[in-house]
Amino acid sequence: MFLHNLKYEMLSSLRVKEVIIWLIIFPIALGTCFKVAFSSVYENTMVFETIDVAVVEETDEFSAQMFRQVIGDVKMEDEPMFKAKYTTKEKALKLLEDDKVSAVIFEGDPFEGSGFSMKTASNGLKATIVQSFLDQYSHNIELIMTAVTDSGSGTYEDVLSTLSAEVNSVAKKQMTHGNTDMYVQYFYNLLAMVALYGSLSGLHIAIGAQANLSALGARRNVSPTPKLIQITASLCATFIQEAVCTAVAVTYTHFVLGIDYGDRLGFVYLAAIIGGCLGVSLGFMVGSIGRMSMGAKNAICNAVSLGLCFFSGLMDGNMKAKVELSAPWFNKINPAALISDSIYCLNVYEDLSRYWEKIVSMMIVAVVLTLLGFLMTRRRRYASV
Amino acid sequence: METVVKISGLVKSYKELTAVNDLDLEIKEGEVFGLLGPNGSGKSTTINCLLALLDLDKGDIEIFGKKMTPTAYDIKKDIGVIMQNVAVFEELTVYENIDYFCGLYITDKATRKQYVDEAIKFSGLEDFVKFRPKKLSGGLLRRLNIACGIAHKPKLIILDEPTVAVDPQSRNKILEGIIELNKNGATVIYTSHYMEEVEQICSRIAIIDKGKKIAEGTKEELKKMVKNTETITILACEMEGSLLGEINELPHVIESGLEDKKLTVHFSGGKHNLLRVLDCLQKHDVSFGRVYSELPTLNDVFLELTGTALRDQEG
Repeated sequence: MFLHNLKYEMLSSLRVKEVIIWLIIFPIALGTCFKVAFSSVYENTMVFETIDVAVVEETDEFSAQMFRQVIGDVKMEDEPMFKAKYTTKEKALKLLEDDKVSAVIFEGDPFEGSGFSMKTASNGLKATIVQSFLDQYSHNIELIMTAVTDSGSGTYEDVLSTLSAEVNSVAKKQMTHGNTDMYVQYFYNLLAMVALYGSLSGLHIAIGAQANLSALGARRNVSPTPKLIQITASLCATFIQEAVCTAVAVTYTHFVLGIDYGDRLGFVYLAAIIGGCLGVSLGFMVGSIGRMSMGAKNAICNAVSLGLCFFSGLMDGNMKAKVELSAPWFNKINPAALISDSIYCLNVYEDLSRYWEKIVSMMIVAVVLTLLGFLMTRRRRYASV
Repeated sequence: METVVKISGLVKSYKELTAVNDLDLEIKEGEVFGLLGPNGSGKSTTINCLLALLDLDKGDIEIFGKKMTPTAYDIKKDIGVIMQNVAVFEELTVYENIDYFCGLYITDKATRKQYVDEAIKFSGLEDFVKFRPKKLSGGLLRRLNIACGIAHKPKLIILDEPTVAVDPQSRNKILEGIIELNKNGATVIYTSHYMEEVEQICSRIAIIDKGKKIAEGTKEELKKMVKNTETITILACEMEGSLLGEINELPHVIESGLEDKKLTVHFSGGKHNLLRVLDCLQKHDVSFGRVYSELPTLNDVFLELTGTALRDQEG
C-alpha cells in the first residue's frame, strides 16, 4: 500500500510543471544571472588601488600609535590598503580639497570613548572602504575593551598580545581549501532558496490530503488507506523530488557555473538535500493551517520562503549579520540561514562540528514542522467539505 | 433484502443554516436509490455525512450493519465514491489514475490490473489510457472520475451529481453504466437535481428540500401523491372562452385554461380523458392543431409538495 502510494506520488510530483519551473529552471536562470553579475564585481575588486588618506594627528597616546600601525599594515591582495599622510586638520582638509587624498581620518581614542570619524569629498567605493575599515577597527577595539573589563586585570597590551596569539592559533586551525569569497555567499543563499521552494510541494501535500481543501483530498479520505500512510508516502516522494532538485542546483552551479564549494562537495549535497526536506516540511506545516484557499496558502508559502531568504541574505549580503546583532535566535531557526550557514561552515572551518550542528538543527526544525503538520491534518472529520 | 445504509435522525448545521434536518433513510441491497432535490437542498451534505467526512450534529449512520466512522476501513473498502467535483491527478494518465485509486482498495497486483482493465472498458476509455486528464473532454473526464470510483468493484456505489456539465451522449453512457453496475450486484445511491435521470434509473427515490425529506417511495408511489395525474395540452385551438365551463364539467377535470389559443386541461385520475376532451371540441366544431397528453413528473410531485418547481430552484 505504501509503495503503491509512493510510486504514484513520485510520478505525479516529478511531472508538476510548477516544480520544474520553480525548482529547476528558475534557480538555474538566477544562478546564471548571479554568476554574470557578481563575476564582474569580483573582477573589479581584483584591480584594487591603494587609497590615499590624510590622518589628522590629535594625540600620541597608545591607542593612536596602535591605529597608525594598523593602518600601515593592513593590506588587500598584497597591496597596502592605505597610503596615509599624518598631518594637521587644516592641511588634511586642503589635501582633500585638492583631491590629493580620498578621505580625511580624524583620530579618536576609543579606549576613552571617543570614536574615529572621517570626511570625504564625495561618496564612492573608496569612501565606503575607509568607512568600513574604521567601523571594523572600532568594533574590534570595543571587543578588546570588553575582554579587558571582563578579565578584571592586566593591561591593554597584555590582552592584545594574548588575543593575537589566540587569533593566530585559531587561524591556523580554520584553514580549509574552501572558498570564502563574499559573492559565493549569494550562491549559498540560492541553494537555500531552492530548498525552501520545496515548501510549495509540501503545501500541495497538505492540500491534497484534506477533504475540506480539495476534491482529491475528499476522495482519498473515503478510501480504506489510512491517512497516515498516504501522507507519509506523499512526504517521502516529495523529499526525493526535492533532493533531486537541490542536487541539480548544486551540480549546475558547481560544474557548469564553476562555483567553488571547496573540496567537500559531498557534504554540500547533503546540506542542500536536508535543506530541501526542511523546505518541504515548512510548506506541509503552512498548508495544514486552517481552511484558507489554495491561492492564499500559496501566497503565504511564497512570502514566508522569500522572507526567510531575505533574512538569510539572499537580497542583501549583510542582512544575516544584522539579524545576528538584533535577534541571534532567529538565525538559529531560520531554515534559509541554517542551509546557507551549513555550506558556509564547510568552506570556513576544517572541523565539521559546526556543519553537523547546522545539519542537526535543520533536521530538528524539519521534524518539528512535519509533526505540527501531521497534528493539524490528523483530524478525521471536517466541519464542512 | 438486507439494509445496506441506515441513516437515523441526521442533523447537520453550518452555523445558523441547518443543511440536513432530522433525516431518516434506509437503503436496501440491490436498490438504485435516488436522492432528488434542488441545489442546496442538502444532498451532498447527506452524502458527506454518510462517508464520515463531516462532523454530525446529531444522528447515527450505519453501513452494512456497522457504524460508519472515519476509521471504519473495513466498511470503506466496499464503498465506491464518485464526487461531484472531478478528483483525479492532473499529472497522471488515465490508466495511472485508475490504477492509483484502485490501489487504495486492492493490494494484489494481478487482481488490480484485471479490475483496472475492466474499469477502462466499462467506461469506454480504451482509446485514452495514455491521455492526461487535461486532454480529455468534459464527458470523458467525468467517465474517468467514475472509473476511478468503481474500479475496485464496490458493493455500495455513491454518485453525487455525476452528470453535471456533461453532454447528452456521455450522460446516457454514464446512466447506462450505472444500471449495468446495479445489475452486477452493486447497491447505488444517486444524487441529482435532474429529475429525468432519477426517474430513468432509480428504483426508489427520496425527495429532499431545505434539508428535510419531503417524500420517499418508488416513482409510481411518488406520482400518486399528486392530485394532477394527467395534463392535456391542445395547441392552435380555435375555441371560445365560454366553452371552458363545459370542459370543466367533464369527469375528473381539476381545472382548465385557455391562453394564446393553447388549451390546458388538468385531470385527477380517470381513463380516456383525452377522448372526452376531443369529443367535446368536435361537438362544438372547434378546429385545433397539435395535442399532447402528459403524465405527472417528479417535478409535479415536487411542485405539489413544496409549492415551487424543482427547475425554479436550480442554481
